[in-house]
Amino acid sequence: MEESPLHQFELENWIPISIGGLDISINKAVIFMWVVVTVAAVLMIMAGSSRKLVPGKLQSLAEMMVDFIRSMILDTMGKEGMRFFPLIATLFLFILFSNLIGLIPGSYTVTSQIIVTAVFSFVVYGISVVLGFMLHGAKFLGILVPPGTPGWLVPLMIPIEIISQVARPVSLAVRLFANMTAGHVMLAVLFSLTIGGGLLIGWLPFAFTVAIYGLEFGIAFIQAYIFSILTCVYLGDAFHLHGHDEHAH
Amino acid sequence: MPQFESHFFSSLIFWEIVSFGILLFILYKYAFPGILSVLEEREKKIKDSLEQAEHHRSDAERRLKEYEAKLSAAGKEAEAILAAAKERAQRLLDENEQRLTAEAERIKGDATREIEQERRKAVQDIRSQTTELALMVAEKVVQRSLTEADQRKFADEALEALSKSYQR
Repeated sequence: MEESPLHQFELENWIPISIGGLDISINKAVIFMWVVVTVAAVLMIMAGSSRKLVPGKLQSLAEMMVDFIRSMILDTMGKEGMRFFPLIATLFLFILFSNLIGLIPGSYTVTSQIIVTAVFSFVVYGISVVLGFMLHGAKFLGILVPPGTPGWLVPLMIPIEIISQVARPVSLAVRLFANMTAGHVMLAVLFSLTIGGGLLIGWLPFAFTVAIYGLEFGIAFIQAYIFSILTCVYLGDAFHLHGHDEHAH
Repeated sequence: MPQFESHFFSSLIFWEIVSFGILLFILYKYAFPGILSVLEEREKKIKDSLEQAEHHRSDAERRLKEYEAKLSAAGKEAEAILAAAKERAQRLLDENEQRLTAEAERIKGDATREIEQERRKAVQDIRSQTTELALMVAEKVVQRSLTEADQRKFADEALEALSKSYQR
């Protein structure tokens, strides 16, 4: 009866599909990606279709989120960053709804799959690098030498900065994955303790389950926020290499 | 960990990109323009409203000052009118009083004079009538024994006595 707290992350192919040797079978995670897309799309379209000047509840909620992302972009990237608004907002909503829907018992947390978060983080990082070279050309390599570095330190700084650059997408992916996985593992462990403990002692881990569940709810928002603001920061670095565009010295 | 089982990676990557692409397309096409335009519209509306409110406020302030000035002017005018009316009433009152006093004085004087005249006339009348009466009486009493001079003398004495008693 005892099942592993990691059992919840296991996948099995429900509908095997293969195109040209590429396995694209439908499994639980894929189904929940669709659920996330459907819920996010329906909510946002419903909220966006009622263009009232004095908003209702749903409209205010959607507007709050959109305004939140907009001000995040304006703060980190400035006006030209609004070109990336659809990408960043969709990223935020996808991650947020994945995290939130994953909290429903019996559902699947899409963002607890390392490959899912890795795709997002490498795509985001790739865009920032491509954008940097498009805007600044070869000078974008200067991102490896922080401003104010003495000449003799440059040979040391470049490898360090390369590592820090590589760490960006990796940490972005691992942070979200690890947070989601850890939260759900913790809930699973506490709940199995509740069941195992019976009525006599089971209430204690159950109380923790409730508390951690509330915490996970907050983490769902925070991780979505962290992922999108780091996206903004990385894209902002590509826009303003060392902040040269804003305050040239 | 089940998340590192690489044989699910291909389908997860594929469906993630497809789902994300669909969501991005739908939101980009149908949700974001509406919400962003509403946000901008509201921002503009709030800004406009604030400006308008500021405009109205200054307008109201200006008008209030105007009205206050008008009000104080009207108050002053009313005061002036009141003072003038009071003065006029006082003057009329004084005039009337003077006129009435003079009239009363005149009537009193006339009456006094008339009374005096009447009195004198009455005295005159009485004197002449009494003289005649006394003469008549005396004539009857001492007709034969007295001379003309005695008669006059007695008559005068009698008259004197009479007028004395009358004057008293």
